[in-house]
Amino acid sequence: MSIKGGDSVRAFIIRKNAVSDWIKHLARKNSVSFPQRAGHSGFRFKPVLETSEIQFEHYRPTLAPPGKQLTPAREVLFKYRKNATADPMLESVLDSQARVLAGVRPCDLKAIDLMDRVNREGFSNPHYLTRRENTVIIAHDCLQPCDAACFCAATGSLHWRANADVFLTSLDDEILVECLSERGIALAQGDHFTLCENTEPHKKRAEALRTQPFGRQFPVPLEQLPAIIAKQWQSRVWEKHVEHCFSCGSCNMVCPTCYCFNVVDDFNLADGDSGTRTSTWDGCMLPNFSEVAGGHNFRPHPAARQRHRVKRKFEYLSQRFQEPGFCIGCGRCARQCTAQIDIFSIVSDLVSQGENDPCVP
Amino acid sequence: MKPKVAFFDFASCEGCQLAVLNCEDVFLNILELVDIVEFREAMSETAPRFDVAFIEGSIHREQDVQRLQDIRARSTVLVAMGACACMGNVQARSNFIAPAQNFQWVYGEAERNSLQTDPEFWPLWAHTRVRAVKEIVAVDFELRGCPMVPEEFVHLVKSLVIGSTPHFPANAVCVECKMDENECVFDHGETCMGPITYGGCKAVCVTGGYRCDGCRGLLPHAHREAHRWLLKEKGLSDAHIDNRYRLFCSTQFQGREKP
Repeated sequence: MSIKGGDSVRAFIIRKNAVSDWIKHLARKNSVSFPQRAGHSGFRFKPVLETSEIQFEHYRPTLAPPGKQLTPAREVLFKYRKNATADPMLESVLDSQARVLAGVRPCDLKAIDLMDRVNREGFSNPHYLTRRENTVIIAHDCLQPCDAACFCAATGSLHWRANADVFLTSLDDEILVECLSERGIALAQGDHFTLCENTEPHKKRAEALRTQPFGRQFPVPLEQLPAIIAKQWQSRVWEKHVEHCFSCGSCNMVCPTCYCFNVVDDFNLADGDSGTRTSTWDGCMLPNFSEVAGGHNFRPHPAARQRHRVKRKFEYLSQRFQEPGFCIGCGRCARQCTAQIDIFSIVSDLVSQGENDPCVP
Repeated sequence: MKPKVAFFDFASCEGCQLAVLNCEDVFLNILELVDIVEFREAMSETAPRFDVAFIEGSIHREQDVQRLQDIRARSTVLVAMGACACMGNVQARSNFIAPAQNFQWVYGEAERNSLQTDPEFWPLWAHTRVRAVKEIVAVDFELRGCPMVPEEFVHLVKSLVIGSTPHFPANAVCVECKMDENECVFDHGETCMGPITYGGCKAVCVTGGYRCDGCRGLLPHAHREAHRWLLKEKGLSDAHIDNRYRLFCSTQFQGREKP
């Protein structure tokens, strides 16, 4: 699968009022998801229907990130059948349905890129990769921060382009359509599209329209965070930010780069020799997540779990994948937290403590 | 030999037993795995011993206590089934009201006064203290909720039949709410027991457009101080908050947490 840009870049201009027709046209032949209003305030990635409202303004990050469609909350991994004379028969359950994720924002684009690496490097995950290989991404640039919780520029997500098949940039009443892969080119077909020979003036216009500075900024550059946070093990900051924590795991469940899961085997009632193995989302903020056989829990206190979560996002995975910031700055965890815990504030506190008040050895 | 299974009801609406009978698509398969030897909601036979006894309902009277102890003595595994058996359910709210006051509300003053002197019903308080099953006998497993969740019942039966440990994660309702992409109840101006309530119900009430009232009981790690702070932040008074906790969780909520 080629998901990188380069030679295959082709660009078009499309009128803004034609985009809805285009997305709905795609949805007649494909399974297309687009962020649409749901509930009292939020957006969800929902299937595009003829009646769907397709618009890029007034966007707020969806409750669940689009990448979660590649690892559903509950997923049958394989079916088994006992065999009296040989090894049990195992049948993988792989979902190869073609799908289009449209309206994906740069932060979520980066998250999907990171999850591609997590699921490809080391032990590769065929369930994720099968869905991923059959997924085309139409991304859309952000020229204003979604809301006060967002800090995507600080985590290096705002200018992410690499794994988009089509990248859209809204400019007043028209949209620049950059096709970054062969599959992207295949999607941008029709009378709506006017070929764009030179994208530079449009990109300059977009940069002029973009809010500066864009959203919240860390006190130090992203690249310095892993080293700073690595020194913070006994910091008082960990306790400070869990005073009201319910250990409900909402922050994990809505995080685009949380991928921990649990597996459960279950036999069929009608035929006890056969059954399934199912994976379900799990999360490191849940109290029993790190409990092992015999009942020992490695992280019994919320502060220890919070420390683990933050270090995963800004230290452990950064080192393992050579990518500063597995937190992509979408702000979902803070938005969903009823205790108003904000990973941006935790990291900012850790940085200022690192400068003024070295942690207890 | 197939395990012998029995169902017993105490103070309850028998809705959990109905939930068992409503496992229609798998009920006949369950009957292949176990022998049901007592089940008043479905049959009239009785038996002397049970491998698994399911207890529905809360325990009120002394004769209920004796009956329950007798069932425990005749059972290998005892399961509290549903919110009444697990934690007293809504009827346990009466534990916070003087029995004489309660009887007056329910039956009127004249009836209350005649009951109070009737040797059949004396003393009144012995009929009104609502207890969970585990306050009287050892409980091996709990099927939480009002009513209990059929999938959890099936999971428990399957685990017991093959001798594995059933798994009921001690996670907040929020986990399943997020899996179903429910908008947080707090985000549309309501308040919710979800963050401190035992999940496993697939967040059915919130998914259906309501809030969580905590029918599956408080989590072992429930952060009640933070939850009270949150509800007060949303404008609820201490008395209102006490009421919310007592709706289902009276036997777990004996008094206000330390500030």
